[in-house]
Amino acid sequence: MPMSASRRAAITVLLAGAFGGALWFALRGQKQDLIEQNDAAAAASMVPLQGVISLDVETFFKDPRVLKVLAAKRMPVNVVRVGSREMAGKVLAGGSANGAPDFFFPSGVVAANQVADAARKANIPAAQVSPFFTPMVIASWEPVAKILVANGMAKAMGPRVYGVDMAKLTQAMLAKTRWKDLKDAGAYEVGRSVLVSTTDLRRSNSGAMYLALTSQALTGDVVTDRATAQSTALKLAELFKRQGYQENYVNGNFDDYVAIGIGKTPMAFIYENQLVSYALAKKGVGEGMVLLYPLPTIVNKVVFVSMNERAKALGELLANDAELQGIAVEYGFRIADSDRFMSTVKPTGLAVEPRVTQVVDPPSFEIMAEMIDTVAKEMSQ
Amino acid sequence: MKALRVLLIAALLAACGKKEEPPPPPPPAIPVADFTVLATTDLKDAQPLEEMVLKATGVRLRFRYGGTMESTEAVLSGDAKADGAWFANAKYLLSSTQGQGRVKLQEKIMLSPIAVGVSESDAKRYGWDKPDLKLTWKDIASAAKAGKLNYALSNPATSNQGFMALMGVVAAASGKSEALAAADVDRSAIADFLKGYRLPGDNSTYLSEQFILQQGTRVNAFINYESWLLSLNASGKLREKLRLIYPYEGVSTADYPFMLLNDTRRADYVKVVDYLKSEPAQTWLARQTLRRPIRPEIAAKVDDLLPRQGLQVELPFSPDRALADGLIAAYLNEFRTPIASTFVLDTSGSMNGGGRRQQLIQALHYIAGADASLTGRIARLTQREKLWFLTFSDTVRRPQAFVVPAGKAAARGVAEQDDSEAMRQVLADVRDSADKLQMKGGTALYDAVYDALKLMLDERGKNPAYQYSVVAFTDGESNQGRTLEAFKRDYAALPEDVKAIPVFMVLFGEANEQALKDLVKITGGRVFDARKMPLYSVFKDIRAYQ
Repeated sequence: MPMSASRRAAITVLLAGAFGGALWFALRGQKQDLIEQNDAAAAASMVPLQGVISLDVETFFKDPRVLKVLAAKRMPVNVVRVGSREMAGKVLAGGSANGAPDFFFPSGVVAANQVADAARKANIPAAQVSPFFTPMVIASWEPVAKILVANGMAKAMGPRVYGVDMAKLTQAMLAKTRWKDLKDAGAYEVGRSVLVSTTDLRRSNSGAMYLALTSQALTGDVVTDRATAQSTALKLAELFKRQGYQENYVNGNFDDYVAIGIGKTPMAFIYENQLVSYALAKKGVGEGMVLLYPLPTIVNKVVFVSMNERAKALGELLANDAELQGIAVEYGFRIADSDRFMSTVKPTGLAVEPRVTQVVDPPSFEIMAEMIDTVAKEMSQ
Repeated sequence: MKALRVLLIAALLAACGKKEEPPPPPPPAIPVADFTVLATTDLKDAQPLEEMVLKATGVRLRFRYGGTMESTEAVLSGDAKADGAWFANAKYLLSSTQGQGRVKLQEKIMLSPIAVGVSESDAKRYGWDKPDLKLTWKDIASAAKAGKLNYALSNPATSNQGFMALMGVVAAASGKSEALAAADVDRSAIADFLKGYRLPGDNSTYLSEQFILQQGTRVNAFINYESWLLSLNASGKLREKLRLIYPYEGVSTADYPFMLLNDTRRADYVKVVDYLKSEPAQTWLARQTLRRPIRPEIAAKVDDLLPRQGLQVELPFSPDRALADGLIAAYLNEFRTPIASTFVLDTSGSMNGGGRRQQLIQALHYIAGADASLTGRIARLTQREKLWFLTFSDTVRRPQAFVVPAGKAAARGVAEQDDSEAMRQVLADVRDSADKLQMKGGTALYDAVYDALKLMLDERGKNPAYQYSVVAFTDGESNQGRTLEAFKRDYAALPEDVKAIPVFMVLFGEANEQALKDLVKITGGRVFDARKMPLYSVFKDIRAYQ
């Protein structure tokens, strides 16, 4: 028997009502969940930016607060850690569909320039921005710093903060001075030569910055020509060779400084943010740990190199977002707002120089490459 | 109407409920691939970490152990067959660009400095118990020369402890503050130091066992990682405790980098490292293995377990390969007690089967070859070495002697020398003789081993400054000449000195392994199954006893 029209209508209403009701019931408890899931789905549907980063900024990118800000700004990232020196080799044309990274975040200007150079050769419109920075410093120990002061190679700039005369220190090192040859060396009267330990400059940026700084100390100026670059690097090669084995990852000499101590590493050339972030994480530093600021020093800009417009927007966000800038300080970096840096570091008890004013630039990319090559050749002999 | 509505709702709920049905039983668990780790043998005491890592991270860690040099070689050549590596010291590996290329990531896990553990009574007698003692490696070498220090140490050619001790001696003797080169090496210091080398071996477990047996009679000191010495002290098995001396300005600290080799396992690697550096794992390592935590704040919490360090100045590690290779070559070719051994070669007809003849020839070529790799040169015949081939089938033939000439000793330095013409000729003779082996007849194995022992005994009487042994290659089915019983009787009648001559049986084919084990039980020595072990391992192990 065919259904009457009225009956059909009633069933439709009923069906709709029942369905709607059931749906309403089903949704009531899950509404909030769903909204969040939708958000997550929206974020997940955004293809994450592929980044190649150095160890220095790895913890920053892993920080849940950073991930949250980036998700909120619809800029999720997917990062992989690679040595700064190997980054230029990862520059690929063809965009992310081709597996090419969207951005690079190496530990310094030299590596960033290498990346930019590789991008230029591959016809990629790379752009650079430096969202935070950190000066190069020497992590040392109070007794060692006092010996340097007694011998005119350093001066106290405040309680537990020292400035090092890089020209005098470099001369002493090249003269093969031993610690026990120095005046008032009682606290560190050992037969080892006065040397600053660095990471392997063939593999890491901080070692290269040490070469840049000592070249300035030796010649009195920034090296600008190839002939001077070669002759200077030849003289300075021994500062690397004589160290013996050098760690070839960025935290190598810093790990030894912290874990093994003064017996292995009386002086370590590091980024300031390495010791500052350590102090912030541990809420203090080990007994006797002090920072020596080379006079002048090099300020290492952490350079963000973007390969496309989306990545460029991420770089600008890192440089301008107040929350991200604040988190960067917690990882030991300096930002334009130096008061914020000082007030963050103060509770740790680590003494830092408020304003690093005596600063030189590293030589140009070509000159640096020339000097690194020269030293590398000497070292592999 | 109402019924219809209920029905509808029921249907809807059922439809909804369908989605909420318990999920189908999970598919049979896909076995998680093991994360294999090539580890140095001194890490055997850390094996319980496999279980702990699995529980904490879900990663199935599997350790495989090897000596430092052997493992370094495996990683360098890309032959490690492992996802990661964990060495006490990876500086030898990481000072070459090839090694750096193999290691994708590295993270130091813990610390243990090398120390000289001296029996407390002797330490006191020599005045080495003072807190401000400044004993250098040079002093240690002098004490060894004077007979005051007789020590156990793992092989300088295969282990980090042995190698670094040798480095400490040459660095202290050179008087240079850094950048020691092969040409600077003071050879007399090496000779002095090695005068006290009484208990050689290949791994810390074996050496610890032997040290417990021989402390106070043959040895009074043990050079090893602090962690092993402290563990021995805590074991209660020593006749007396050891006083740990950290050589002044010559401490070499193992820093145990955990390295990623297989880049596709990066995520698991990170999990494992995060766990190994966590407080529970670091504290466990400190308490159970007496290694120092890499994280100072955790070290501070367990500092009651470990001796206070004071100022320990590290020996810089020289990345100079010529120095390292030169030192190892000099140790093997000039400074160690030279080896004299008789190779008993089974040429019975059964050796023709199953490619055994070919295996035997390959083995002989291996030791007389020109393999200059880290591992090859340990297995290889060295300068001053004496070797006899004693072939047998139904009867035992006359021995054929080979003497590898000594090299020209340099006045100073340990620059590695090419093989001399004379040495190359001897190696070629050994290979030629191997190629000419003809297999036929029966197997008079016990007669041959007996004759070899007598030959070595005679030689030992004439020239005691060698380390004698018998190495027998056989498929092990003796069917001619003496029985095992007769061998036992005749062996017992030999002079007591024969006990210093071990017999190493290298086994091919489907032999009666038990009969060979019974033989070495009488003579001392070991059975090596060349079907299950790479030849390198066989020879490396034999060398460790020679």
